[in-house]
Amino acid sequence: MAAPMELSCWGGDWGLPSLHPESLTVMAYAKFSGAPLTVNTINNSWRTPKGDVPVLISEDIVISQPAKILNFLRKQKYNADYELSAKQGADTLAYIALLEEKLLPALLHTFWVEAENYCSVTKPWFASRIPFPLSLYLPGKMSREALNRILLTKGGPPLYSLSEVEAQIYRDAKECLNLLSKRLGTSQFFFGNTPTTLDAFVFGFLAPVYKVCFPRVQLQEHLKQLPNLCRFCDDILTCYFRLTVSGHSPSGQDTADANLQKLTQLVNKESNLIEKMDDNLRKSPQHPPRKLTTLKLAAGGEESPLNRLSP
Amino acid sequence: MSLVAEAFMNQLAAAEPWPENAALYQQLKEDQILLSDNASSLAVQAFLQMCNLPVRVVCRANAEYMSPSGKVPFIHVGNQVVSELGPIVQFVKAKGHSLSDGLDEVQKAEMKAYMELVNNMLLTAELYLQWCDDVTVEEITHPRYGSPYPWPLNRILAYQKQWEIRRKMKAIGWAGKSLEQVLEDVDQCCQALSQRLGTQPYFFNKQPTELDALVFGHLFTILTTQLTTDELSEKVKNYGNLTAFCRRIEQQYFEGHDKDNSGTAAPRSAKRSLLR
Repeated sequence: MAAPMELSCWGGDWGLPSLHPESLTVMAYAKFSGAPLTVNTINNSWRTPKGDVPVLISEDIVISQPAKILNFLRKQKYNADYELSAKQGADTLAYIALLEEKLLPALLHTFWVEAENYCSVTKPWFASRIPFPLSLYLPGKMSREALNRILLTKGGPPLYSLSEVEAQIYRDAKECLNLLSKRLGTSQFFFGNTPTTLDAFVFGFLAPVYKVCFPRVQLQEHLKQLPNLCRFCDDILTCYFRLTVSGHSPSGQDTADANLQKLTQLVNKESNLIEKMDDNLRKSPQHPPRKLTTLKLAAGGEESPLNRLSP
Repeated sequence: MSLVAEAFMNQLAAAEPWPENAALYQQLKEDQILLSDNASSLAVQAFLQMCNLPVRVVCRANAEYMSPSGKVPFIHVGNQVVSELGPIVQFVKAKGHSLSDGLDEVQKAEMKAYMELVNNMLLTAELYLQWCDDVTVEEITHPRYGSPYPWPLNRILAYQKQWEIRRKMKAIGWAGKSLEQVLEDVDQCCQALSQRLGTQPYFFNKQPTELDALVFGHLFTILTTQLTTDELSEKVKNYGNLTAFCRRIEQQYFEGHDKDNSGTAAPRSAKRSLLR
């Protein structure tokens, strides 16, 4: 329990801590169970791991798949499913299977296969976070793997063209979203008032669909028609990740503050310059000493005519 | 298929009642059929029995190639051919018979989730065991799969199918798993099913649904099939309520129809052993 644990995963944008569903699932579970994880987002440096992502490193143990990482956390006594009954634990497994079979193909398609989405959003985003020259190769490989997975699992006869497969997987995904919405109903989380593994998985799969701004967004539009699922994602983001609903992360606030600081500095410099000009004008013999020196912030040119008029 | 084609098919289906000569096609029982195909076929047979729809089982060596989706079993009803449990359930529903009408929305969601669990874990584990575990492949799968065909066609077809299945396993991430991990996943799945079933007679209390048919098909086949090791059936036998569930459905839906279904319940070749 005392061993420090590090998680390497893809970073986030658009108000999410991560864009990658599996990374998001692990991060959410860690927050729910209170596990102290330091999160290292993959950036441009060469030190980041090249294998499967997300990866948990604890002392010498390296674990790579979400299910295994969650098992490891549970063994370390960070268990979010403590209060679930046996039947609810079984339901968790069943719903996770439903997500993987029905929702994941459409998610992969939206991110990696749909040409407009991939070229304008996904590829630049991932390429900017992978060191050159891997950035030329890795996004393409991930895209090919996604297409491969979709075709091998869903692409057999009687669906003979990619557009038929696409129609089928989006239909399955919309049905899956409807089922999840019915199951969630009006409660805050799937099993009562505390979040569990199932909530982590659902959040991990839904949040990227919900938040990332793509050109082609049929799945997002369908999700927005299910208000309880949107509320579910927003609740988790605000309560557990301390991000506002509109998507400004604390780092966003910092940049706004920094900009404000810069502006204030500029204004101060301007006013210093104006003061100097004032002093010069005061020292010159033509002008009588001024009584008021309050007009510092105004532009230098305007002051002298005003002062000539004052008594 | 597209939405229009599906609506059209449903309309055609609804037009006629269930005929007497409906047939279910699968591979040859004695020599050819494999664990996963037998499980799927038994699930469909159980479902049709539960709906009280008569069907006769026809065994053909080329059933896989006759099927519209490439998977067995498929049913030939009137002039329509439908394969796999999901589409068959919808087809039967269009004809007016349904087992899950009495469930509310949340229960239907749960039923679909559990059916996906069985397909995701049990079926994939069966495929892994048959096609990715070298011992089983050598001794059981290759000889059985190509048995109706002469050499070298039997070897070519078996290798082709093996390559296809291994590609799929690699894409979904199961290629890296060892046999112990796969058996552990089967155990987890059975534990979930056992906990969900509890002490009830069926998964949704009094009436059987398509989930019961699917679970029965897979578990019964696992329990009654002799493989190179008994580990898979041992995993299922650990859960008493699941074996009782299988026995109950076997007695209720299959024992009265010995003529049609003698193959499924009675012992046949060395591959099968009685469920006792």
